[in-house]
Amino acid sequence: MKKKSLSTIYLTIVFLILYAPIFYLMYYSFNSGGKMYEFESFSLEWYKDLFQNTRLLIIVLNTIIIALLSSAISTILGTIGAVGIWHLKKRQTKNVLLSLNNILIVSPDVIIGASFLIMFTIVGIKLGFSSVLLSHIAFSVPIVVIMVLPKLQEMSSTLIDAAKDLGASNFNVLTKVILPYITPGIFAGFFMALTYSLDDFAVTFFVTGNGFSTLSVEIYSMARQGVSLTINALSTILFLFTILLVIGYYFISKRNGRIIGLGARK
Amino acid sequence: MTEQPIIRFENVTKQYDDDPPILDNVSFEMEKGKFYTLLGPSGCGKTTILRLISGLIEATSGKIYFKDKLINHVPANKRQVNTVFQDYALFPHLNVYENVAFGLRIRKMKNDEIDKKVREALRFVNLVGFENREIKEMSGGQRQRVAIARAIVNEPEVLLLDEPLSALDLKLRTEMQYELRELQQRLGITFVFVTHDQEEALAMSDEIFVINEGKIQQKGTPRDIYDEPINRFVANFIGESNIIKGKMIRDFLVEFDGKQFECVDQGFSPNEPVEVVIRPEDLEITTPDRGKLNVKVDTVLFRGVHYELCSYDENGNEWIIHSTKKAEIGAEIGLYFEPEAIHVMRFGETEEEFDARLESYDSYGDKDAD
Amino acid sequence: MIMPILLIVYYSFLDIHGNFTLANYQKFFTPVYLKMTLSSFWYALLITAVSLLVAYPTAFLLTRTKYKQLWLLLIILPSWINLLLKAYSFIGIFGTYGFANALLEVFGIGKKQILFTDFSFIFVSVYIFIPFMILPIFNALDKLNPSFIDASRDLGASGWTTFRRVIFPLTFDGVKSGCQVVFIPALSLFMLTRLIAGNRVITLGTAVEQHFLVTQDWGMGSTIAVFLIISMVIIMLLTGNKKRGGVG
Repeated sequence: MKKKSLSTIYLTIVFLILYAPIFYLMYYSFNSGGKMYEFESFSLEWYKDLFQNTRLLIIVLNTIIIALLSSAISTILGTIGAVGIWHLKKRQTKNVLLSLNNILIVSPDVIIGASFLIMFTIVGIKLGFSSVLLSHIAFSVPIVVIMVLPKLQEMSSTLIDAAKDLGASNFNVLTKVILPYITPGIFAGFFMALTYSLDDFAVTFFVTGNGFSTLSVEIYSMARQGVSLTINALSTILFLFTILLVIGYYFISKRNGRIIGLGARK
Repeated sequence: MTEQPIIRFENVTKQYDDDPPILDNVSFEMEKGKFYTLLGPSGCGKTTILRLISGLIEATSGKIYFKDKLINHVPANKRQVNTVFQDYALFPHLNVYENVAFGLRIRKMKNDEIDKKVREALRFVNLVGFENREIKEMSGGQRQRVAIARAIVNEPEVLLLDEPLSALDLKLRTEMQYELRELQQRLGITFVFVTHDQEEALAMSDEIFVINEGKIQQKGTPRDIYDEPINRFVANFIGESNIIKGKMIRDFLVEFDGKQFECVDQGFSPNEPVEVVIRPEDLEITTPDRGKLNVKVDTVLFRGVHYELCSYDENGNEWIIHSTKKAEIGAEIGLYFEPEAIHVMRFGETEEEFDARLESYDSYGDKDAD
Repeated sequence: MIMPILLIVYYSFLDIHGNFTLANYQKFFTPVYLKMTLSSFWYALLITAVSLLVAYPTAFLLTRTKYKQLWLLLIILPSWINLLLKAYSFIGIFGTYGFANALLEVFGIGKKQILFTDFSFIFVSVYIFIPFMILPIFNALDKLNPSFIDASRDLGASGWTTFRRVIFPLTFDGVKSGCQVVFIPALSLFMLTRLIAGNRVITLGTAVEQHFLVTQDWGMGSTIAVFLIISMVIIMLLTGNKKRGGVG
């Protein structure tokens, strides 16, 4: 019994520390005092501020547009890529492509950011919306591939034989058997890409120009200037939004039978 | 004279890269409306034949005909055959109804027609009322039926079954053997059934092809194959056998275990070395003085319907006996058998030679009868 | 996709005026850069070690709870919150009048400078990375067949021996992939070094960012990036990326 309570205490501490910063932020977002200490009185003025700050709202909108667009495009590209890799007959090429995919996932953001900065400069793409979008697509595609591929691999090859046996053409096999089968993986990939894009700071920081900014970059520059409770208000809203996303993701992966893990990209 | 075969293989070989061929120069014909079983150990090439018929793989060389039409390069989705897969390969994202309707929808059939056919197919396999179930809610036996319904709803002329009973437990398997046989007779189409279970093959088939190492060892009715195995492999694979080396002295006289025995085989050269098969159930236990052979009992197992005795003769040959009589371990017993119980096999005889030799017996027999 | 990486290699041979040179590599092997690399590795190592020490017991205890998948989700949830926001929160917590100092005062220790220290840097880094360490270890522990533990106890092993001889070796793959996904990003952190460590800590990542975005010396930045890639590949080889199931 004593052992059990000890482990409960340990877990409780871990959870407390994990959530402390988030609730700390949320708590002070209601502080009329304007600082992240000495809670004076409850107020919603920071939320009012936030909704009057058109610049910040536009940035939020930008971030969401980039996230939705990049994850949609990379879901399509990544699914095609995964089906392509899965379809490859040659084991060697398959392994090479998979390792490349893994390297791209593990690659630190700094490197992806720096290399895209070089590439955009050489190709002559103006830094801004399109450069951020392209780089987000680039780092999301491997994630989608890694989420979709296991689904393809767990699919029994006789399913395809059966479809052909029942008269399905190759196109039929793809649309009526393969795609419906891997749909959960595609959704999971889309959600992962979405969160990675929303969360990304480093890559965007490199390839964003002067005129364009996403939320992470904006928070960074605001944070460097010191405490502003507008950020707290914003993060409270973002937190609730994230919880919604997670609940959505949870139900998808529950249908999948397990929680598909997260990669690390920080 | 005979009806045109529905499937014909002419010298078909299947080989991957430089590996030894999986199927080596195989020729056979299959008739309409019969139940064929391809029987052999795993890796013998039986599933390869099935996949060649269904069109999921292409032959390396040789010709495959479907009703006298060469179909070597006709893709699977254009062939009038359907398959029941070993793992059933039911689509997990579709329910029972949609699984069965899959092939019809591909053919862009009208909805009410699809509905009629699907319901009829489900009635055929006793699954009325299961239309809206998900696949994962179905038991093994039910999945099996869905797979069959999905195949027969397309009204194929040949139904291929790839070890469909192997995932079921013993009781269900026996039940399904009856059902499949009955289904085949009701539908009147050709079934090609693949299995490695000899009892299954004997119970269900009109004709069995025994396959080993990429070659068809023997074709024939279950009775023929059981009674007249062509070689040691077939004799061993179909039922239990006592196989012993011997010498054919002359027609109707064979020598083994140091003694000469009367038999019914003929057409060998004098003193030709042969192998002799005697089925365990053809050996009768008797007293040593009345036995044609004398053996010493080593072990006795009770098998339910009979005892299985393992015994050795004085030359150290093993004799398996199936008998309703029991014997004591260590006892000296005599074994009696009829001349008909002896089956003599020639070394390295091909199927054609074997068949020709058996033919010749019949003509002799006819003459005797005259 | 592999193009940009090759571009980095190409750029690492250019000087600030775009001429071909090996000078960047010469520069990298001067004490200034070597020291920076070493300290970057040292911090990454510390972060990984602390993460592992905290994560393993957590993962272990999690597998013993009811509704473990739900608890796991709760552990992962904070990692879905924008990283910048969490860093920002720590600025508040560790600030002069923040929660941490208030706590210290309650215990009678008095105010301390917490923000902009090694401690705060490592603390926040571990905080950020810990879910990524817990996840693969949790998966490995979860997959562990419980009858192995029973068998080990049955064969007379004590709890500790069972852990050391059976549980840990069997979950070592999870530990390895956990270390991989923590160590590599820890090498290249740059935002935290500025916000939390106040530029006291310079990692390889900070240096790359500095050269690209501040001094505009892309050649030198690329050279450092090349070394970052090389270390990444070495770490991936060391931790063996054959079984990435735990992370993927």
